[in-house]
Parts: sequence; structure tokens; C-alpha cells
Amino acid sequence: MTTAAAGPLLVVDGISVRFGALLALHQVSLEIGRGEIVAIIGPNGAGKTTLLNVISGFYHPYEGRIAFAGRERTHLAPPDVAALGIARTFQNVALFKGMSVLDNIMTGRLLKMRGSFLLDALWWGPAKRQELANRAFVERIIDFLEIQAIRKTPAGRLPYGLQKRVELARALAAEPELLLLDEPMAGMNVEEKEDMCRFILDVHGEFGTTIALIEHDMGVVMDLSDRVAVLDYGRKIADGTPDQVRKDQAVLDAYLGAIHE
Amino acid sequence: MSEALLAVLRPFADIAGNPTFFVEVIVGGIFAGLMYSLVALGFVLIFKASGVFNFSQGVMVLFAALTLVGLIERGLPVPVALVLTMLVMVLLAFAIERAVLRPLVNQPHIILFMATIGLNFFLEGLGEMAWGANVKKLDVGIPDRSFMLKGVQINQLELTAAITAAVLVTILAVFFQKTRIGRALRAVADDHEAALSIGIPLKTIWVVVWSVAGLVAIVAGIMWGAKSGVQFSLSLIALKALPVLILGGFESVPGAIVGGLIIGVGEKIGEVYWGPLVGGAIENWFAYVLALAFLLFRPQGLFGEKIIERV
Repeated sequence: MTTAAAGPLLVVDGISVRFGALLALHQVSLEIGRGEIVAIIGPNGAGKTTLLNVISGFYHPYEGRIAFAGRERTHLAPPDVAALGIARTFQNVALFKGMSVLDNIMTGRLLKMRGSFLLDALWWGPAKRQELANRAFVERIIDFLEIQAIRKTPAGRLPYGLQKRVELARALAAEPELLLLDEPMAGMNVEEKEDMCRFILDVHGEFGTTIALIEHDMGVVMDLSDRVAVLDYGRKIADGTPDQVRKDQAVLDAYLGAIHE
Repeated sequence: MSEALLAVLRPFADIAGNPTFFVEVIVGGIFAGLMYSLVALGFVLIFKASGVFNFSQGVMVLFAALTLVGLIERGLPVPVALVLTMLVMVLLAFAIERAVLRPLVNQPHIILFMATIGLNFFLEGLGEMAWGANVKKLDVGIPDRSFMLKGVQINQLELTAAITAAVLVTILAVFFQKTRIGRALRAVADDHEAALSIGIPLKTIWVVVWSVAGLVAIVAGIMWGAKSGVQFSLSLIALKALPVLILGGFESVPGAIVGGLIIGVGEKIGEVYWGPLVGGAIENWFAYVLALAFLLFRPQGLFGEKIIERV
């Protein structure tokens, strides 16, 4: 590891995002340390997904800066962000619906694969070895997430809960340093949620991946995360351990209070 | 009534009565069909990678042929002219990505489709401006002679076209199914956002796919041009590629080939045996009627990805 290993993995420093007259994020700062699981919570429209989109390069802030592993990278485009080692899933599941589960997960390895166009096309020599090596890694993830039975199924035909799991598998295939999960448990039943919870913790334990997730289910958030950041109307109103956040008055007013009635 | 029925059935007797001639008709149909396939292939490539129906594919064929002929006419040896034409098509791909596709990222497909219609007219005009509007003879050294094989007449040019098409299709099919870039292309076709998030640069992919479509257009241009001369009606063969695509499925490389073959053989048989019954010209509409039937019963085509819709 380089010297950067000492500092936080991701530093988001005072970023603001504007869509026309709407201020989606206002001077939000967030630090994520290596190996942490950080939850980003907040009422609907608070700017959680916008924050995730900024981190993964889909939106660019008009002020503030973002550093990853000690390097400034505020204005990178999504593919370049991915190349740095940040993988993500989407709120509305963005799988390649016509492709099989296996192929979907293999796409996650694209950045790990190099080789000449010609050898590739001929399915020859190093290209073949490379494909097989990557395939082996993907099989490991498939085992890990317990989706062996559906590996040949087109992703578009799977039930929603499994699609979310395949999307997680694709993100993991990239061996990311930072994994961004946008509502990984939305629309799942209790059992599926428990599975997903277990997978996230296993991923964290097994690969040491740093994880930032957006989630609405408070039980899940409190169980999973080391730290919770709370957004409301585009501002960060709290940041701390689950216990601290649970007792925070601003949070209770804005959000948790409404849930406990 | 029974007389009409008899007239419709009579061609079957003709087929049985002269099988050699029948084989000749089929061979002719296969060759014609492969020519359609070559054009359809260009459509499929771009559709697969960007979900865009590239209306200008036919004109790209014309443009490639015109460039090649123009360069040969200026005294360049055929191989040099060919390499230069390839270069021109790749440059064209870069220009299209920069000027047309990039500003329209994330727009609905219909907008991109409209843009390719514009591109169609632009390229047609550019080709005419640069190389003139006369019909030109394209001769790249493939002899247009025929020989006999077991009593069946086979044209050398058509045979070359068939072999070229077969090789091209095999390479492309392997490329799409097995390789890293092929997988990236399919990913981009499926979901732009997700493709970006796993590190696929859209711009590069688009340049690659339009370049490949441009190279396929050169092959199609050479074959068609050698057969019937390079002229502006060449861009109209795109219209024949459309039913081929509906038959084969818009995103299937093998589909483009099989679709082309079915239409090529079907229309030749129809024309030769049943044409006289209706005064001929079946060849002109057969493909479209077949395409209509497919749209009714199998809208995704023979090899198309099944249309899944969740509500």
C-alpha cells in the first residue's frame, strides 16, 4: 500500500450540485475510511442518490472537491471512476437484461482484462488464458452469492430480488476498493433482506471492501453500518455511529421521529 | 376453380421435372441473399451496440464503394485504394461519434434514428460532391465468369462474395460472443448507465462499432459494385436489408445471414416458378410480405432476443 493508505479512502469536501433552480446538494462533506461500512440515510429527495452519482462520476459538482485514495478526482467521467476501483449498483437495477447472469458478471471483469483485439477475436493464446482466469474469479463470486442455479438465465427474466443480487455480483467482479450500493434492499421481502444483509457483511469480511450504502430500512442500517451520515434537503445534518445518530435531535426531527411517530 | 389450383401447383411439377435448374435457382438465391446479408450485417452491428437503427447504412455502402472507385480511377493500385478507403471509413466513424452521437448521448433512440436520416442525406451529398454522380464500373480483380459444377452454373464473383460473407460472419459472431470487446458492445447496447458504471467508455465503443460497420460496408460495396456498378441506387439496397433484419432479428449476426438467405432464395424461387402466374415482379415485394408475416407471428425475428416486458 502507498502512503495514501493512511488517510481516508474517500474524501468528499463541500460539494454542491444544482439542477436548474433546485439545489440538490449543498456543501456536503463526507469521509469514508478504509474498511468502513457507511450508510447514507435521509428522507426521500434528500440528495442521497445524487451524492452517490457525484461520487461515481455521473454528476459533477459545481463547487467542492472529491479525492479518492489521496488523489483529487472531482471531474472524472464514470468509466474513469470505475477504473480507479469504485463500483456501484443502481436503485432501479441496471443489469444487461438480454445477457445471461454469467455474462453480466463477466462484464464486471472488463477493466481487469487487457489484450490485443486480434488475439481476442481468435480466442487464442493469452486471450484465452485471460478469459479463463477471469471466469474462475467470477465463478467464485457466483458461489459466494449463491446464484449457481441461475447462471445461464437471462438477467431480465429473474425476479427483482435476484436481479439485485446479480447486480451486486457484477460490482464485486470488478474487485472494487469502494463499493457503492444504492438501496440494495429496496422492494425485497424480509428473507431476501436478511440474505442481502449477510452478503454485504460477508463481502466486507472476505474482501475487505469499503462500502457506502443508501438504505431506508432502519433496522438494516443500524445493524450493518459502522457509521451513518444523514442528509436532509441536500445538507448533511448528522454523521456518527448508529447510536449517536439515533439520539441526534436534528435527525429525530427530520427523519427518525417521523418513523417512530 | 380447380384450374386455378392446378396452375398454382404446376410449378412443383416443374421443380421435380428439372432438379438441376432448381438447384441453379437456389444457388442464385443464396448468392443474392448473402449480398442482402452483407448490408444487413452493418445494421445489426450498430443496432447491437447502440440500439440505434442506422438509416444511413445503405449510403455508407455507397460511400465506401464510391471512395474506392474514385481512388482506383485516380490511378492508385487496388490494395492501396482499399487501405485508404478503410482509413476513410474509420475516420468517418470518428467524425460521426464526435459530431452526431456524442451530443445526443442519453437521448431517446428515435432522436438518434432521426440523426442518422440526416447523416444519410449528408453522406449522399458528400459522396456525389467528391466523386461525381456517374455510374462507375468497379473492378477489383475478381473475375465475373461462370463455371460448371456438376451441371450447375456458378458465378465466380458470386462465389467470392459468398465466401467473404461467410468468413466475415464467423469472425463477427465469435467476436461478439466470446471477446472482451464484444461483451462490452453488448453491454452498451443493453444499458448505457450500467455500462458506464463498470468502466466501459461509450465513446470508444461507438467509434469501434461504427468503424466495423464501415468496414462491412466496404465489403458490401465492393460486391454490389462489382455486380451492378457503383451508382446512387446502391443506397436503396438498404431497403432490402430491412426485411432481412425483421426476419433475422435486429440484434443477431447469424440472424442477418439466415434472414438474407431465406429472402434471397425465397424471392428467386417465387420469381422463377410462380412469377409468370401473376405477371412477374414477385422479387420486388416478396421480402416485404414475408417480413409482414414475421411481424405478426414472431416480432423479435428468428434469432432476436425475446422481447421481455415487465409491468
